[in-house]
Amino acid sequence: MISFSNVSLIYPQSTKTILEDLSCEIQEGEMVLVMGETGSGKSSLLRLINGLVPHHTGGILAGDISVDGISTRSVKPGSLAHLVGIVGQNPINGFVTDIVEEELAFSMEALNIPHDVMRKRIEEVLDLLSLSALRGRSIATLSGGEQQRVAIASALVMHPKVLVLDEPTSALDPIAAEEVLSVLHRLVHDLSVTVIIAEHRLERVIQFVDRIIYIEGNGETSIGVADEILRRSELVPPIVKLARALNLSEMGTSVREVRRLTESIREQNFPVAAPEVRNLSSAIEVAAVSYSYNQKIALKEISTTIHHGEIVAIMGRNGAGKSTLLHSIVGLHSPESGTILVNGVDPHSLKGSARRAAIGYVPQEPSDLLFAQSVGEECALADQLGCLHAGSTASLLSRLVPNISAHAHPHDISEGQRLALVLSIVLSGNPDILILDEPTRGLDYQAKNLFALTLKEYASQFNRPVLLATHDVELVAELADRVIFLAEGEIVADGSTLDVLLSSPAFAPQVAKIMSPKPWLTVSDVMRALGDNA
Amino acid sequence: MKATLHPITLWLSSLLLAIGVVVLSNPFVALAIVTLLAVLVHIRQDGSPWNSSFLLSLRIGAMILSIRTIVGILIGVPIPGTPIFTLPILDLPSWMPGIRIGGVVTLERLSSSLHEGIIIATLIALFGAATSLTSPHKLLRVAPSFIYEIGVTLVIATSLFPQLATSAKRIRTAQQLRGFERIRLRSIAIPLLEESLSRSLQLAAAMDARGYGVSRRRSRYRPQPWLLRDNVTILFASVVTAAMVLQ
Repeated sequence: MISFSNVSLIYPQSTKTILEDLSCEIQEGEMVLVMGETGSGKSSLLRLINGLVPHHTGGILAGDISVDGISTRSVKPGSLAHLVGIVGQNPINGFVTDIVEEELAFSMEALNIPHDVMRKRIEEVLDLLSLSALRGRSIATLSGGEQQRVAIASALVMHPKVLVLDEPTSALDPIAAEEVLSVLHRLVHDLSVTVIIAEHRLERVIQFVDRIIYIEGNGETSIGVADEILRRSELVPPIVKLARALNLSEMGTSVREVRRLTESIREQNFPVAAPEVRNLSSAIEVAAVSYSYNQKIALKEISTTIHHGEIVAIMGRNGAGKSTLLHSIVGLHSPESGTILVNGVDPHSLKGSARRAAIGYVPQEPSDLLFAQSVGEECALADQLGCLHAGSTASLLSRLVPNISAHAHPHDISEGQRLALVLSIVLSGNPDILILDEPTRGLDYQAKNLFALTLKEYASQFNRPVLLATHDVELVAELADRVIFLAEGEIVADGSTLDVLLSSPAFAPQVAKIMSPKPWLTVSDVMRALGDNA
Repeated sequence: MKATLHPITLWLSSLLLAIGVVVLSNPFVALAIVTLLAVLVHIRQDGSPWNSSFLLSLRIGAMILSIRTIVGILIGVPIPGTPIFTLPILDLPSWMPGIRIGGVVTLERLSSSLHEGIIIATLIALFGAATSLTSPHKLLRVAPSFIYEIGVTLVIATSLFPQLATSAKRIRTAQQLRGFERIRLRSIAIPLLEESLSRSLQLAAAMDARGYGVSRRRSRYRPQPWLLRDNVTILFASVVTAAMVLQ
């Protein structure tokens, strides 16, 4: 269906080779995962398939790509619209119209498809993706998962033979992600659509894919079946990490397979570790807080206490009120009723340097805080703002990411490096509490590990609380001490990470699913328990 | 879904009324039209993000009105009439004859400034109402497809505007929460421009990838027929305009 022959790609004004001499054939009805570190060229590879690279972005392309016999060199991306459907990383940025139905019709109208065909196809696709209830809705009012489904649907109405998706689940909660992935799975199996997908959270997709294209950086690529690639890759999901740690003879990519392989371990008896008792003193007190906007209740009588030295994850569906709760604690708005105290102070009254010393906040889009021309300048500004010794922010940053150039532009560095930069700017003020809103979107496993280590160090070294909203179950399992689960603006669960994550199957991390009913969340939990027993 | 008018009907009626308002130049009629528009927009709003553009146009209109009035009071040729109050006169060099700053403010001068301001504000409100009732995207759908380049540009510009406002607000709050005492234009403009630029590119790429402009002809999923009520609306607007022009 798709064939790459000796494809190399570099962008002008860049010394880095994106792809070098990639040759492969992708068959009809295959589901292929493209993986690699952040900024390694996954998106470029995907956009080569319909010719957006190089027709739209520039870049020097050698070799040839053909889709269903048509070479992407000879035609513009638009001429492949009936053949290749592409869904970008942020679907909201690619919507052309305002209403769901009109969005679905857009491509077909552009290609002058007859009216009756259009009507039929739209009804079909509305049913296929269960969107019929949303057909007349304005796209801006839909949730993240719904928007993602609309984006997939508007690619599918063209009956494409190839569907290309760039991180389709990165903004979605685990349940919405599962929904999207199962739709893709069905497309591959029922309609024989060829699906090419790029994703960082391998644990979500690995069980569905047939083959993997691994971009190893500096242009090298390897292609093979999932087992083969994962056996030697550095980026691996927890399920493979577990298999490696336990020295299993075989590798499995689904929970079911690995459960079979680890039966003997689960049969052993392990002493139940006594829960650590810690000296708790409260840092953030939230008492009966309610908040609503546009007559919609976002928070309903929320009460909780966050203690010193605790890392608390706030989880919940898209639109459950996570961001609103964080905003209230940060002091963006004062709650309509109830009180919030951060170390005894109302956060809404904080300003300037007092605010920087009291609350460190990393917003959902970290780059909102960056406006200087280089990384070095950005660090210098932070030093100046916090009245610190020149170079203290830079040294913090170089501890997080050692090989970052001070001359690089903040928007040219990778997503992980940018988060590290913002984190070190925020931490340079040495705030009493740290709050992060969905920090790990678009990060690969290594960047995420580094990030988790930094937060753990901050929490334990200074005995200060960290509060983060996230969809990333594996991160929560690694990092958090406690989980607060929100739904419809109310707290539905609040307890230790172990209790909360194990109690709901959708939110359980991979290791927990494999080792259930044993109370282990991560690979290191398993190894510690095994080590204690030996 | 409410029965809607053809997008061109609304824009054409707005244009006609705008001509009438300018020619008649009567602030009371103009204010009456704005009130009528407010009622119309309120009844016909359908929850799309464009609905708020009428309110925005009113705000811009009010701003222009106040600037026009202040400038009219301070600077300009004196109009004789009933004096209300006197401002100190600023001495200007002799090579600027006929212009004066300050001086006697007469009722006539105040009312003529207000008058012009109201007419301008009404024009803006007319187009704000048209935008808020038919999104520019809908207008684009009825536009012929050979204006491909303009089409892409328009879609990008029109989707960017509402996004620009929300992004600017988001960036400002992020920086406030970072504890910047003084938020400078530069610190907002740079992330904002960066984001809008990359969004525009993404949107253009998406339109390209989805075959926009490939075919010379476009089909319509929900063709918006030209109905009797469109004729009636246009006729009504024309009659009102004619009445205003010919009185």
